Amino acid sequence: MNNVLAIAHKEIKAYFASPIAYIVVGFSAILFGWFFVNLLLYFDRMALQAAAGGPDTLNVNEMLIGPLLQNVAVVLLFTLPLVTMRTYSEEKRAGTIELLLTSPLTDVDIVLGKFLGAFVLYAAMLAVTAVHVGLLFLFGQPEWRPILTGYLGVLLMGSCFLSLGLFISSLTKNQIVAGMITFAVFLMFWVINWIASFAGPTMQVVLNYLSITEHLNDFTRGVIDTKHVVYYLSFIGFSLYLTVRSVDTERWRG
Amino acid sequence: MIEVQHLTKRYGPFTAVNDVSFRVERGEILGFLGPNGAGKTTTMRVLTGYMPPTEGKAVVAGYDVLEQPLEAKRRTGYLPETPPLYPDMTVRDYLLFVARIKGVPGKERRARVDQAMQRTWVADMANRHCGKLSKGYKQRVGLAQAILHNPEVLILDEPTAGLDPRQVRETRALIKELAGDHTIILSTHILPEVSQTCQRVVIINRGQVVAVDTPENLTSRVHGSATMYLQVDAPGADAAASAAAALSGVPGVTQVGVSDTQGSVTGFEIQSEQGRDVRRELAAAVVAHGWGLLELRPLRMSLEDVFVQLTTQEVQPATTEVAHE
Ligand SMILES: Nc1ncnc2c1ncn2[C@@H]1O[C@H](COP(=O)(O)OP(=O)(O)O)[C@@H](O)[C@H]1O
Ligand SMILES: [Mg+2]
Repeated sequence: MNNVLAIAHKEIKAYFASPIAYIVVGFSAILFGWFFVNLLLYFDRMALQAAAGGPDTLNVNEMLIGPLLQNVAVVLLFTLPLVTMRTYSEEKRAGTIELLLTSPLTDVDIVLGKFLGAFVLYAAMLAVTAVHVGLLFLFGQPEWRPILTGYLGVLLMGSCFLSLGLFISSLTKNQIVAGMITFAVFLMFWVINWIASFAGPTMQVVLNYLSITEHLNDFTRGVIDTKHVVYYLSFIGFSLYLTVRSVDTERWRG
Repeated sequence: MIEVQHLTKRYGPFTAVNDVSFRVERGEILGFLGPNGAGKTTTMRVLTGYMPPTEGKAVVAGYDVLEQPLEAKRRTGYLPETPPLYPDMTVRDYLLFVARIKGVPGKERRARVDQAMQRTWVADMANRHCGKLSKGYKQRVGLAQAILHNPEVLILDEPTAGLDPRQVRETRALIKELAGDHTIILSTHILPEVSQTCQRVVIINRGQVVAVDTPENLTSRVHGSATMYLQVDAPGADAAASAAAALSGVPGVTQVGVSDTQGSVTGFEIQSEQGRDVRRELAAAVVAHGWGLLELRPLRMSLEDVFVQLTTQEVQPATTEVAHE
């Protein structure tokens, strides 16, 4: 465990020593803020219509916070490849992987440490966006439960992306290549969701199950369904396992 | 302390290290000498557990590197060919991180880091970013990183590469000083390094060990085909050429070359058949022609000659193999 923390600590320091942490946190705050303002304006219009005799009740959670968290996937699409692209690639390029692999650490220590480091940066990034949501509590009475479960879902969803990005980074010593492939793969998971809406009924079920973002919906409605939690956790576990295998295979190949 | 048995490493179809075996005793400095591409780095990477061998085994500090890698790694310090530094970290932070992953207890880390920085003369750069260091300092921080956890075994891949002459001297002195309580393997393609620092040498070429011995024994052992230096005073026109002809005629002499001339005095380098002493015959031939015999002595081969001879000898039988490929 100490080994995992040692690697995680080093990773976090590396993020904040380079511009990456600031770019990721700043960019996601801006993008999230933009969604927030637009949805708020939309909600405001609906509220005016409601006052003029539209639908009876307007729910802040369903109309504002839910869609907001679902749009977070777009933010992650752009920011998380930046977080994971250098994790393994840069160690390979600089030769520091030789230090890690000849120290008394297991491959699992290294992968978990790197994952934890990326996760902490991601959590910091979400914490900044939570400021917007906090504002709503100043001016209204949203339900806090769907907000908490929604954030849990977003945290899990982002962790899937992080673990996948870690795996892709372990495949190449060029961090730019790693970043671009990661972006492309994330985009694919994003597009699956979109294709699903045109697909036939059976195909739709399959595609929806595969889609990382589809599993988020229940979370934003305040429901923690084990089905989705298991999906996310197995996704993360499998990607991290692949990363360990990839590092080990490379070691045998030389 | 270190035992390598029938170690073979293949990269795909290419054999980089072929059936290498050697031992290093406790407290010894072993030089690993070979031209570029000989397989030095590959062997060291297997010893440090960076990559597994294709065949054979390696035991470091009593632990098989494949079966008990963590135990072996805990007792090994390794300086790779390129020092594994994180450019964005300061020297002190970097060494603290390394101390942590090498398992140095939290309370001792600062003291150990300070000590390692002093021993490798990098203390003045403690707060500088690793990426901003000169090549010499990078190499020394790499060395500090290797000795930090006071390992029983030190594996140093070309530790003096890229240093200026003064730093080279200092680093060699440091390595000798470390040898007392560490067992050291250092690789190099620079010959004086081996004769100055190491007690024993493994010469490796094209993945195979061609010799294991002390530097002194190597220079005398390979002495096989002896070379003599002969200086004669032969006055008269064309005397040097006729002397050369006369000396070539001496039984047992295989080759005569002129190494220097000064007026009527000519120096020859004379090679003879292996194991045959031709000094008497040479002296007799000189006297018979009425020339003055000024000097006659065997030329000792330098380690450099030994190295060239051993490594090219190895290439010769392989040329047919190359032709097949
Ligand atoms: N990762 C690798 N993949 C394929 N071939 C390699 C690899 N590393 C080294 N080699 C080859 O193995 C041989 C030995 O290399 P190396 O051990 O680095 O030699 P040295 O350190 O003595 O210069 C060289 O011919 C080199 O090209
Ligand atoms: Mg090398």
